[in-house]
Amino acid sequence: MQETKVIQPSKGLFRLDLRTVWKYRELLYFLVWRDIKVRYKQTIIGAAWAICQPLLTMMIFAIIFGRFAKMPSDNVPYPIFAFAGLLPWTYFSQSISRSGASLVADSNLIRKIYFPRLVIPAACVVAPAVDLALSFLILLVLMAWYRFVPGPALAVLPIFMLLAVVAALGVSLWLSALNVRYRDVGHAIPFLVQFWMYASPIVYPLSLVPRKWRTLYSLNPMVGVVEGFRWSLLSKQNLDPVSLALGTTTAVVILLGGLVFFKRMERVFADIV
Amino acid sequence: MSELAIRAIRLAKEYEIGEAQHNTLRDQITARLKSLFRPSASASSAQQRFWALRDVSFEIKKGEMVGIIGHNGAGKSTLLKVLSQITEPTSGRAEISGRVGSLLEVGTGFHFELTGRENVYLYGAILGMTKAEIDRKFDKIVEFSELQQFLDTPVKHYSSGMYVRLAFAVAAHLDPEILLIDEVLAVGDLAFQQKCMQQAQRLRDSDATVIVVSHNMFSIKAMCNRVLYLSHGKVLADGLPDQVIPMYEEAMLGGKGALDTPRWAAPKLERDPARRAVSITDMQVLDSSAQPRTMFDFGERVRLRMKYTIRRPLPTANFVVALIRSDGIGCCNYSSSLDGFQISPKVGDGELDLLTPPLKLVADLYSVHILVWDEHFQRLHGAQIGGSFHVRHKLLSSQFGVFHELGEWTSRPVEPLNSPETPPATKVEIR
Repeated sequence: MQETKVIQPSKGLFRLDLRTVWKYRELLYFLVWRDIKVRYKQTIIGAAWAICQPLLTMMIFAIIFGRFAKMPSDNVPYPIFAFAGLLPWTYFSQSISRSGASLVADSNLIRKIYFPRLVIPAACVVAPAVDLALSFLILLVLMAWYRFVPGPALAVLPIFMLLAVVAALGVSLWLSALNVRYRDVGHAIPFLVQFWMYASPIVYPLSLVPRKWRTLYSLNPMVGVVEGFRWSLLSKQNLDPVSLALGTTTAVVILLGGLVFFKRMERVFADIV
Repeated sequence: MSELAIRAIRLAKEYEIGEAQHNTLRDQITARLKSLFRPSASASSAQQRFWALRDVSFEIKKGEMVGIIGHNGAGKSTLLKVLSQITEPTSGRAEISGRVGSLLEVGTGFHFELTGRENVYLYGAILGMTKAEIDRKFDKIVEFSELQQFLDTPVKHYSSGMYVRLAFAVAAHLDPEILLIDEVLAVGDLAFQQKCMQQAQRLRDSDATVIVVSHNMFSIKAMCNRVLYLSHGKVLADGLPDQVIPMYEEAMLGGKGALDTPRWAAPKLERDPARRAVSITDMQVLDSSAQPRTMFDFGERVRLRMKYTIRRPLPTANFVVALIRSDGIGCCNYSSSLDGFQISPKVGDGELDLLTPPLKLVADLYSVHILVWDEHFQRLHGAQIGGSFHVRHKLLSSQFGVFHELGEWTSRPVEPLNSPETPPATKVEIR
């Protein structure tokens, strides 16, 4: 028995139709695969770039903030401290930068072929996770060098990874859909990424933020993610549950809002992209 | 058998065009401010909207092959986009039963850095196939594309023909129940086109529903058993190809549009028509007794009357009239220089008549392209698409070639088989 598809102007806020997205999960897989295949084509060192970027950034941070500025790092050697924060941060910033431009870059597809548009930014959020996995190996090497053995908290690392994905996907949905209508977004993203990095405890520890600002500060979901990564990998400092709960809440709100916003905008993508 | 594949009920689509589209935040803010201070501004932006589709209703049964025809901007592509869910209608609804495959452009989604093999998978997935399905059809796709030896070459090294062949091969194996096609059959060499037609035939036999948008009346006639004629977003006619296509062709003939530059001459000309040395200001299609006419019987003479302005003095003005058939084939040329006729190349206005010999062109629609060359066909001084006319014949169509001339036939009786010329080896005896 065939089902009949009805095409009509969509009404209401909550016609998310995530079932169609699920039906196209193989396309998601192929888009991620395309992204990974193409990214390092015609480069000399290839996929090593995925490792070099966070590694070199860590070295710069270790010299400037660790050595010169004597930044406190919760009694952990500064290089691992910075690298453990850079892992989820690089993932997050890559996700939002790539997905911000994604719909416009694939405008040909959007104008000529039907598929749930959600898979495009979703693919941009999945692909950098591969880079993350590669740099994770480097972190393990670094930790071995500094004779750091992760504790049992390592088991909950996937939860913080999930939180990073939720935050990245949420922000990506907003930015990619906005960029279709307002190309200003494309220009704003580099600044947003830079600003956001200093608003997250990447180069400095959370303990450096004055207590009265902590609540406001923790609304940034990346605070929870970065602190969570450090806690489960390095298990030195304590994890502030309130701060984590706040960050998780904002991440979920951004994602749900982003889904609704994206689905609303999706109707006109083909006409205005 | 009479089950419906598509039912469209009062489909409408409105677009905002021109300045009403604000692409950056700044544009939108300034537009808001403007309309705040000048209430008429919002009224003028309302004029910038137009209806690409208006109240389009039709029903298409399973297994029908439907052609959609109409002038540029009539809403054909918009209709396909709405039916394939690329864009939403502004109002109305459509019900579709069956898996839809749409090919609005062959090869969008290919990635230049990836190899042919990789692109088959990527493009297949974009069109909605699963990996298992592509795995299963992979060999057939490759065989169809005839690109076996280039499969592991990145497609950026492909010629455009190879690129299209691979893309079409993937698309042809989509096996949808409802296929929406926009002008993609006009690709590749003749042999490949034939293959595509066979594939369309196979789809028809498999009871698939096919909807084709095309400007090529020949392929519409060959493929479709029903034609929808759209004009300004509305369905003007819906019926058998033999009934609807002539209506469209008549409308094309009557349409007194602005004179255009032929596509193939455009790159050789200055962009701005006002700066060309010669411009054609008017052209009329007349019969041999100088009466305006657009429909001619096979074998009639056609008189083409053109008015022109020469802006710069030229050494020679060689007026060339080319007749181009509706499928884009250039059928014949008349050249004033080759015919030994001198046209004064001085600055000023002039009028010129060309009376063709009895036209032996097959029945079809022909457009008239006028070109002004120097006598050696090296420099192009001006070009224009004039009107068009129709040639009528009850049998001869473009399937019979470009023109039809009478041949001279003679026959002789043939000697019996035992004649000395016949080599014994080829002798066939049937008992």
